[in-house]
Parts: sequence; C-alpha cells; structure tokens
Amino acid sequence: MKSYKELPDDAGSNIVGQVAAQSDRISKRLASVQNTVAIMSGKGGVGKSAITANIATALTQMGCAVGIVDADINGPSIAKMMGVRNATLEYTSSGVKPATSSLGTKIISMDLLLSEDDAPVLWNAHSQKDAFTWRSTMEVSALREFIGDTEWEELDYLLLDLPPGSDRLPNVVELIPNLGGVVVITIPSEVSHLIVKKSITMARDILKVPIVGVVENMAFYECRHCGEHEPLFAIEDDIDKTLHSRTLGEIPFDPKLSRCSDNGTPYVHEFPDTPASYAITDIAEKIQEFFMT
Amino acid sequence: MKFLCIDCDTAMKFKDVTRPEQGSVTAVFECPECFTEIAMYLNPSETQMLKSLDLKLGGSNEMAQPMQVVRSQLETAKQDPMPNMSIESVTEESTESGKCPFTSVISDAFDEKTEPEQEPTGPEWTSEALERLERIPSFVRPMAKMGIESYAKDNGHTEITGEVMDAARGNFPAQF
Repeated sequence: MKSYKELPDDAGSNIVGQVAAQSDRISKRLASVQNTVAIMSGKGGVGKSAITANIATALTQMGCAVGIVDADINGPSIAKMMGVRNATLEYTSSGVKPATSSLGTKIISMDLLLSEDDAPVLWNAHSQKDAFTWRSTMEVSALREFIGDTEWEELDYLLLDLPPGSDRLPNVVELIPNLGGVVVITIPSEVSHLIVKKSITMARDILKVPIVGVVENMAFYECRHCGEHEPLFAIEDDIDKTLHSRTLGEIPFDPKLSRCSDNGTPYVHEFPDTPASYAITDIAEKIQEFFMT
Repeated sequence: MKFLCIDCDTAMKFKDVTRPEQGSVTAVFECPECFTEIAMYLNPSETQMLKSLDLKLGGSNEMAQPMQVVRSQLETAKQDPMPNMSIESVTEESTESGKCPFTSVISDAFDEKTEPEQEPTGPEWTSEALERLERIPSFVRPMAKMGIESYAKDNGHTEITGEVMDAARGNFPAQF
C-alpha cells in the first residue's frame, strides 16, 4: 500500500498551492514597502498603541511615508487614536484603499469594518460552540488580508501594532518572513519587565527577528513648576541589564498624550515642544538609524 | 489530505461536493481505476476551520477578492460599501462557471445560519417572543435566535414563547 508521500497530490484540492498563493499576495503587496516593524509589548496597558500612533506620526513628520496595521483584531484602537474612525474604506479590484490621517499616515484596522461602537468581532459560523477551534485561525486570515490586500503603495515604514502577548508575533513572522524588526514597549515595572522578557526571547531567540530596541513608556513625570523628574513607578530594576536589549528611549508621562489619543489628534503633532514629544521624536530617529545602517 | 483506493493502490481524485446540512459539508472522491467512490464528511467545526483558512476543497481557479474573508465572514461588519463587488456576487459567478463548487457549498452552509426561519421543521415564534428578540442587540441577535431555536428543538418545543426564551437564557451571554 502506497504511503502518504508516494501519493502524487492531495486529490486535486492543491491546498499547498492555495496557501502559496496567499503568501505570494502578501509578498507582492509588500514589495513597495521598505521596512516592516512590529510594535509589541507582551504586557497590556503599557501604552503600546498610543506610542505606535505617535512614532508613526513622528516618522511621517520627518517626511517618511508610513502605514499602520492595527494587528489587535479584537481590541482595535489605532483608528480612534489617529482620528480616522469615521473613514469609509474603498474597495477596488486590486485591493482596499486604507484610511489616511490628516498628516498622511495610512491605517487599516478592524475598527474601520465594525458596524457599531459596541460591536465585538463576531465571525459568521453555523455555531459559535467550540469556536476556540477556529477563531484564532480566522483572526490570522483577517491579519493576512489587512497586510496583503491593503493598497499601501510606496511606504518607508509599515508598523504593525500587535495585541498584548507574545503569541501574535509568530503569526506575523509566518505572514512576513522578512520582518524588519521589533520595537518592544514596556513601563518601569518588574511585572512588565517579566512579561516583556518573554516577548524579547520569542522575537530574538526563537523567531530570529532583530530587536530594534526597547522603549520605556511612562518612565517618569516632569514637574511642570520646577522641571524636576520624579519616578512614576517605584522600581530598582535596571532595564538594560534585565532585558539585555538596547533602550531606544524613555518617554515621560504626560496626561495630554492620553487626551490626544482620545481626541484622535496625535500628541507629537499637537504638542511638539514637550519632553514626551522630544523623546518620541528621538525614538523615531533611532528607528530610522537602525534601518539605514 | 490524501485518499487511497486500497484495492487499486491508487490515489483517489476529488469528484464533487454535496449540499451541506447543518453546517457540515460532504466531499466525494473517486478512484480513477475502479471508480469506487467514498464520501468524506466534515463536521461544522472542520468546515469552519477550512473556511477560516480561506481554503477550498477541489481547488480554486478564481482570483481572490480584496479582504474576502473579512468582508464575507465578519458578522458584525458595516454594510459593504461596494455592493457591485460583493463577495456574494463573486460566489454566484464562480458557481455558474463551475470553477469552484466548494465556494458555493460553503456559502450555502452558512446561509442556513443566517436564514434559520426558512427551515420547514423549525419551531414557530410567538409575537411576544419575537418582540423580545428584537430587543437583543443586532450584532448578537442572529446567534441568539439560532441558539434559542436549537434549544427549543432539543427540548421538544414546537413554539417559542417567552417561557422558552427564559429557559434558554442561561445558555447565552446576551440578556433578553
């Protein structure tokens, strides 16, 4: 009796060919994108999406063509932070035109496809029972389409805002084998560093993706009266020693950053002359340096 | 997935798919030597998995449409802004040309879910129950309706009343 390998094909479905066609679609789409960068944290609540939106805006202000994929399928926030929630996506025969911020950053997000503010991501199925067996697969297919079916055109940077956890990055690397690098966001907390270490190990040691660097968000706050820096979190952990990665910068806490995110007006554009904006712009410059060398 | 005719020691070929029932798809394979046919049944989860991967049994000759998975499978989506390029119309074309039978079969499988009231054997809704159904948020209503009907069928109810909804309520996250 013939073995599996001795049979010539899969009875005519050509599943391997169908998967290859899906990969080919992404490769062709990303041919005009210079650098792909995943922004991840591992830990939720560290301000990853807000920093992604502002790094993208800082790069755009430097003259770069930038796009953002909101890879947080179930908790999309980039469209709101970039002020494009009301944009209507335009479908063409070759793709989908992304939403574009007032400064020209291109955005694709599940938020642009959902019907109502309180509508969760719910997939059509004969039954939602046992949906755990296929829901993650559906999410990866959605991400594949976001990357491969959006008409990005010529981009210097495509940033992927990943959801919390280290599990989405392997999916992204499957979809984009030549992912340019990973920027890791953390806060000065041992709990955050503990989780973020796992993400760095996943990226650097297992997936072999270059780590562009670590960004420490909410690193301190600056007294608006005397300008003194005070820590926001009590931590004795040394980030460089703990995470064994290059630190791109420390972003001070500024309540205006959160307000700008809520208003859909990127902070680095609204308040360019603040310590946090200087820090974000400096981080964006270091990201550029990383990809230029 | 490959299939072998043991008698002929020959790889079987995909032949056809039959109309789905309750979300399950049946694919038929045939031995090119002795013409023996076998049927492979996919349960609803397996059918859904294949659909989630955007793969088609029997292969696909059609060009993938932009974001076809998201646009056709997201139940809580906005109305498609370009109806002239809807996934449904693409599916119909491919069915007519016979290029990809599984595409239409999969689509039919999920039509069962979106139009459960067309099932001839389904329990009937009282006006009071329908009124309560309308109060369920629109994006979970189809799922809730199907679940209540399934509960009614399983428990031998031919009519869905407010009492049946109360009894079924414990099975669903949505309040009604």
